Amino acid sequence: MSGKTILYVEDNEFNLKMVRQLLARTAYRLIEATDGEMGVATALKEVPDLILMDIQLPKMSGLDATRRLRADPKTAAIPIIVITSFALSGDDQKAKDAGATAYMAKPYSPRELLQTIRNLLPEQ
Amino acid sequence: MHWVAAIKASVHAKLLAGYLLVTFLVIGMGAMSLQTISKMSSQGQLLDEAHERVHWSQDIQHALAMQMNFTAMALLLRSEATVENILRENNRFNNTLARLEKAAQPEEVELIQRIRVAQGEALTTVADIANLIRDGKVEDAMRLQQSKQYPLYGRIEGFVTQLVERERSKMDHLRASVAAANRNTLILMAISAATLMLVGLLLGFIISWSFILPVQKAHGFLSEVAKGNFAATINVPNRDEFGALAAHMNHMSQELHRLYESQHQASQELQRLNEQLQQASKAKSNFLANMSHELRTPMNAILGFVEMMLDEIYGEVPPHLREPLTDVQTNGKHLLRLINDVLDLSKIEAGRMELVLAEYSVQDIVETVRTSLQSLALEKGLDFVAAVEDDIPLALGDGKRIAQCLMNLVGNALKFSKHGRVAVWVEQQGENLLYRVSDNGIGIPKEELENIFGEFQQVDTAITREFSGTGLGLNITKKFVEMHGGRIWVESELGKGSTFFFAIPLRMNHGEVI
Repeated sequence: MSGKTILYVEDNEFNLKMVRQLLARTAYRLIEATDGEMGVATALKEVPDLILMDIQLPKMSGLDATRRLRADPKTAAIPIIVITSFALSGDDQKAKDAGATAYMAKPYSPRELLQTIRNLLPEQ
Repeated sequence: MHWVAAIKASVHAKLLAGYLLVTFLVIGMGAMSLQTISKMSSQGQLLDEAHERVHWSQDIQHALAMQMNFTAMALLLRSEATVENILRENNRFNNTLARLEKAAQPEEVELIQRIRVAQGEALTTVADIANLIRDGKVEDAMRLQQSKQYPLYGRIEGFVTQLVERERSKMDHLRASVAAANRNTLILMAISAATLMLVGLLLGFIISWSFILPVQKAHGFLSEVAKGNFAATINVPNRDEFGALAAHMNHMSQELHRLYESQHQASQELQRLNEQLQQASKAKSNFLANMSHELRTPMNAILGFVEMMLDEIYGEVPPHLREPLTDVQTNGKHLLRLINDVLDLSKIEAGRMELVLAEYSVQDIVETVRTSLQSLALEKGLDFVAAVEDDIPLALGDGKRIAQCLMNLVGNALKFSKHGRVAVWVEQQGENLLYRVSDNGIGIPKEELENIFGEFQQVDTAITREFSGTGLGLNITKKFVEMHGGRIWVESELGKGSTFFFAIPLRMNHGEVI
């Protein structure tokens, strides 16, 4: 399989599992990281086609990780979808400022997430 | 000064005493002057009397001379007629001598006595001479005159001269003593006046400085207190009003010090509390942010997995499982709304809720709400219309929160209606936007209209159970509307339906963000 690679940076096992299963039937290849630092390291190593970044992560926040990746020429152009918490006012703006291509409020609908991914990164 | 200050008497009494003292001195000096004047006047009288006595003595001398003269004339004219003149002069002599004797000092009385005796003899001789002249014995008369009258008169003359000298010397003595008295009086008066002036000045100086010193001390003391030196004390020897004032000032300073200390303590305490509060507030804010995310993460998995199951990502869903799965999804979404509402309200209460101001389209908001709730209206068989006045320009505010408000109101309208229509209408009224959500639902009793926007307020707990809801939606809606500088109200008729309105500025000023 030479599908497009998506990196999901998320520390919650069930959300990882959910996205894993969501993408299982698609042509996308999913790689995972469970904290901010690991997310940045994996992204720099693997250079995925799209990144899903949770906002609250151990070791390094999703926003800091996004800024790091935007600052590195290798990853600067990769579309990043930041998963925000709706109740926190200004998260959307913070995500945009950090360099997010798009953002989704948690809890997101898997259906909508897949649609957003497809819009940014066509499956074929 | 200190001695005067330490006298235990009022300022009034001290001033009065000072003035009285000066007044008494003036009176005393006046009395002394009067006494001196009366003494001088009595000396003047004595002088006058002495003068008069000298005059009388001279008169006697004159009368004596006249007697001799007339005697000589009688001899010359050989006429006894002139003897009458001698007698007249003799009478004048005796009268004047009597006056002199009356006013005479004891040591003069003897001299006067002698004069009188000699005068008596002289008069007898004159009578003898007169008789001799009458008898034509002029020669004898002349001899008698030569031998007896002349020596007699010479003796009398000597006595009288002695008398005159005495009186004159007494008069001179008196005059000298009057002059001395005058000089002494002048000196005394001058000394008295000077003393009086000095005493007056000294009294004025002492009394005034006994008042000025405490005032100066008070001035210095108050300056110290004003600078915040509460340890300063004022110490005056005065036991009068100034002393009382100084005691009050010390007391005041102590009180001020006490107040300052307690206020200082209170302000430190407040500052400490404030810091604690700020920390607590920050902790609460952090807690809310974390909790928000922590609650959403499992909700994300729950709702995500259910949706994926219903979307048949895991394969076909058996028909009998579709309904319970849908129930899980419905309740999961409801739980999510509850979480959102509680977190929103906590943030608002903590003052940590901030509006994110941006331009938004009213049409978009109404459309979002319409599409979100269309299915619910359809499910309940309600007629749901949502429209916006044409040509409303872009609005400025927190579009997400306004959408949340409208969603709450329309959600309630759909929830509490069993038939009829739910209508949304938005229009521009001057600088404001007016949102209107009307329904044909159960309506709200009049007495509940005021409370409906409070926290955890629902008209009836039974209704709450039937229609479900957090009871926070209207409260949150009201708070968001107010944060936009707007207001919300409701008109309702029980059993016929309700209309909720909220008006917010079309374009919020950034400065208005609450």
